[in-house]
Amino acid sequence: MPEIFGTLWEVFARTWSGFLDATVITLQLTGVGVVLGCVLGLFFALLKLSGSKPLQLIANFYITIIRGTPLIVQIVFLYFGITEFITLSNFWAGAIALGVHNGAYIAEIFRGAIQGIDKGQSEASSSLGMTKGQSMRRIIFPQALKRSIPPLGNQFIIALKDSSLVYVIGVAELFSLANREAAQSFQPFETYLVVGLYYLVLVMIFSYLLSLYERKLDVDK
Amino acid sequence: MIIAKNIHKSFGDLEVLKGIDLHVKPQEVVVLVGVSGSGKSTLLRCFNFLEMINHGEIILDGKPVNIKKDNLNKIRAEVGMVFQHFNLFPHKTVLENIIEAPMMVKKKEKGAAIKHAKQLLEKVGLAEKADVYPSKLSGGQKQRVAIARSLAMEPKVMLFDEPTSALDPELVSEVLAVMKQLAQEGMTMVVVTHEMRFAKEVADRIIMLDQGRIIESADPKTFFENPSHDRTRQFIQLVE
Repeated sequence: MPEIFGTLWEVFARTWSGFLDATVITLQLTGVGVVLGCVLGLFFALLKLSGSKPLQLIANFYITIIRGTPLIVQIVFLYFGITEFITLSNFWAGAIALGVHNGAYIAEIFRGAIQGIDKGQSEASSSLGMTKGQSMRRIIFPQALKRSIPPLGNQFIIALKDSSLVYVIGVAELFSLANREAAQSFQPFETYLVVGLYYLVLVMIFSYLLSLYERKLDVDK
Repeated sequence: MIIAKNIHKSFGDLEVLKGIDLHVKPQEVVVLVGVSGSGKSTLLRCFNFLEMINHGEIILDGKPVNIKKDNLNKIRAEVGMVFQHFNLFPHKTVLENIIEAPMMVKKKEKGAAIKHAKQLLEKVGLAEKADVYPSKLSGGQKQRVAIARSLAMEPKVMLFDEPTSALDPELVSEVLAVMKQLAQEGMTMVVVTHEMRFAKEVADRIIMLDQGRIIESADPKTFFENPSHDRTRQFIQLVE
């Protein structure tokens, strides 16, 4: 058994500088995906709550298509499928696919959170003369955002791990590198264990930061 | 101040208001009573257009309101509303709750808004709670903040929708005291309440709704001692 730790350490020591670069790319992909996802998510959540049938139809169309197809299909579609119209670098094709994909789920998170705010809140803002927009921006959304944080954090963790799927279009993130290392070194067991560890540590750091943030929000109120 | 003419309101097939005529004069305190389902809360909510009437006319401060064309936000800003469940903004402090609408809606300058808010908090006896979040307040304190928040918009009329029904019994009187003081200062008020003692002491007129119609409209003495309608008599026995 101890020799496993020896070879694991050996693989880790040999690959860490490469994996560090790959970690940066993984985080960049996740970052773009999450930010774009939140923007799209908020946009489509508001469409769904707009009360206008055509706008709701657009939002439902987006959510149905994106949730109904695999992320890996969306990634290769953006990279290989639309070259006639637009050519994206593999990083941006992957990042945008991640963002569009997460947007559909985040839209539902925001919609649920906004709908979960007591109707009395919008009635009170209306009764004070506030417009619908003011009420959403100043009263409803800040409360909804706070309630969204646990499911959003969950979604961010999923996005971080899902970013590994962009290996199919050759972005040099963690999992791509792990595949290459595994093949070149003939040590798939150690290599995949090590890359798994990288994801695990990233998720644990993120979860910890999230719990700190949630605690801060609780203290504020 | 508020003139309602032949107001009808339905929710689906259920007609809740079946032709209400009511004239609330300036500085008058009108108390609406009735069993639950009689339409009293709905009527109140029609007065600030949280519910839209299906038929009839509402004239506010001399101006007929056109639900489709008028800017209802502007009209609502002049009609204060106090809710049964307070509906304070939980993510804002007491002071922020009060200055929000004057700053957003009336574009009041922050310093002036704060100054006014502090005066109002003084008035409802909560000056020391300005920087506290609503979750730290008792029900009675929450409702007094809600009253201050409405008053900050300097409304021409205040509507109260069962303002003490969600309170523990020992907290009712502190809210009623604030309302009584407002009435004495000449605020026009329409109050839906089950507090008969308040109605007796403060109301200029008590109106009894039954199944969507006004069946009794009288000064407190006549209302309690010599009501004209059997249903009113039954109701008085029920609540006293």
